[in-house]
Amino acid sequence: MKKNTSLAIALLGFSILAGCAAPKNAMLADAHNSYNNAASNPQVTTLAPLELKDADDTLNKADYALKNGESTENVNHLSYLAKQKVALAQETAKRKTAELAVTNAAANRNIVRLEARTAEADAAKQEVSSMQLTADQQAAELAAASAKAERDQELIAQQEMQLKELNAKKTKRGMVITLGDVVFDTNKAQLKSSGENSVNKLADFLKKYPQHKVLIEGYTDSRGSNELNQKLSERRANAVRQSLNNMGISNERISTQGYGEAFPIAGNDTAANRQMNRRVEIILSDESGNISNR
Amino acid sequence: MKKLYQPGSYPLQKILITLLAAFLVTACASTPPPTAQMAIANEALNNANSAGSNEFAPVQLKSATEKMEAAKAAMQKKKYDVARQLAEQAQADAQLAMAITRSAKAQKAADALKEDSRIMRQEIDRKTK
Repeated sequence: MKKNTSLAIALLGFSILAGCAAPKNAMLADAHNSYNNAASNPQVTTLAPLELKDADDTLNKADYALKNGESTENVNHLSYLAKQKVALAQETAKRKTAELAVTNAAANRNIVRLEARTAEADAAKQEVSSMQLTADQQAAELAAASAKAERDQELIAQQEMQLKELNAKKTKRGMVITLGDVVFDTNKAQLKSSGENSVNKLADFLKKYPQHKVLIEGYTDSRGSNELNQKLSERRANAVRQSLNNMGISNERISTQGYGEAFPIAGNDTAANRQMNRRVEIILSDESGNISNR
Repeated sequence: MKKLYQPGSYPLQKILITLLAAFLVTACASTPPPTAQMAIANEALNNANSAGSNEFAPVQLKSATEKMEAAKAAMQKKKYDVARQLAEQAQADAQLAMAITRSAKAQKAADALKEDSRIMRQEIDRKTK
């Protein structure tokens, strides 16, 4: 209790002292406020120390004037000056901060530029790698295409070999297969068994290349009437068609034509020559199934 | 013929006159005219004006101008104490106006650069996307 009382007295004493020490002039108090505010701002203390010192000096003069009982007018005057000087210090600090920002902005710009270049370089790199990818893709496609071409080449070679086996000859009308073995007796349209082999090969070929069609043309020698020979040639062509049918080639792919004794491939003077004229020719269509007629 | 005023013959009188003159001068201007302060304040005001303070610190510049006018009027009336105080305040106001102007200009430059930088960054971001 006693202790508390003495503490209270001490506090009272302090406050009286403090009251005495505090400036009684309102403008001076205001100037002090401003100064304390500025002095607690590290920006001002570091960037405008001289200006702040100047303000402090003027503030001290004002304090001194008040203490010495100089006129209120003079104290007010000095307080005003001090306050303006504090403001000056604050503005100076603000200016220097902005100027630093300008200086830093140049550096910042360089950083941004550098980033831009890096980004550009990255983009270019990406572009190159995507181009590489495209190139790789193209190379792969090319390889695939050439592989296909090779395969096609092989197929063509195979086909050519088979056609050769069939004794096919390249003519203006396309590939023409003369079934030399498919020979007919005089005035007969019966396919001899020796000819069956050739027809068999043709059937195999047609099975393998379903896009091809055939035109079967029948011919006779010159003996007998034209009418008879015409009919005979048609029957001969039909005989081959029938044979192909039997081997599983559909009728739609086969057309027939009789030419009678026309278009002999040999003279009709000897028996051997007449035998050559009694024949069947098979015209192979192109891959779209087109055949040009005689 | 008697020479009444011979030079150097009344040294005491001469000294007295000189002293009187000196006293009179001192009495008339117990405060000397603040010519230097007036000049300094006027210079500060001119500087603030040419720096463009009427744009950036019109309040402070107006205050400085008015105080300077008042100071000149006080000089005319030989109220030198008043003139000095007004000139000092005019100087402080003008200097503050100047400081505000300069800091505003610097801030403007900094803002412009900041905006530049922002636009540049935006541009880069857009390009990169």
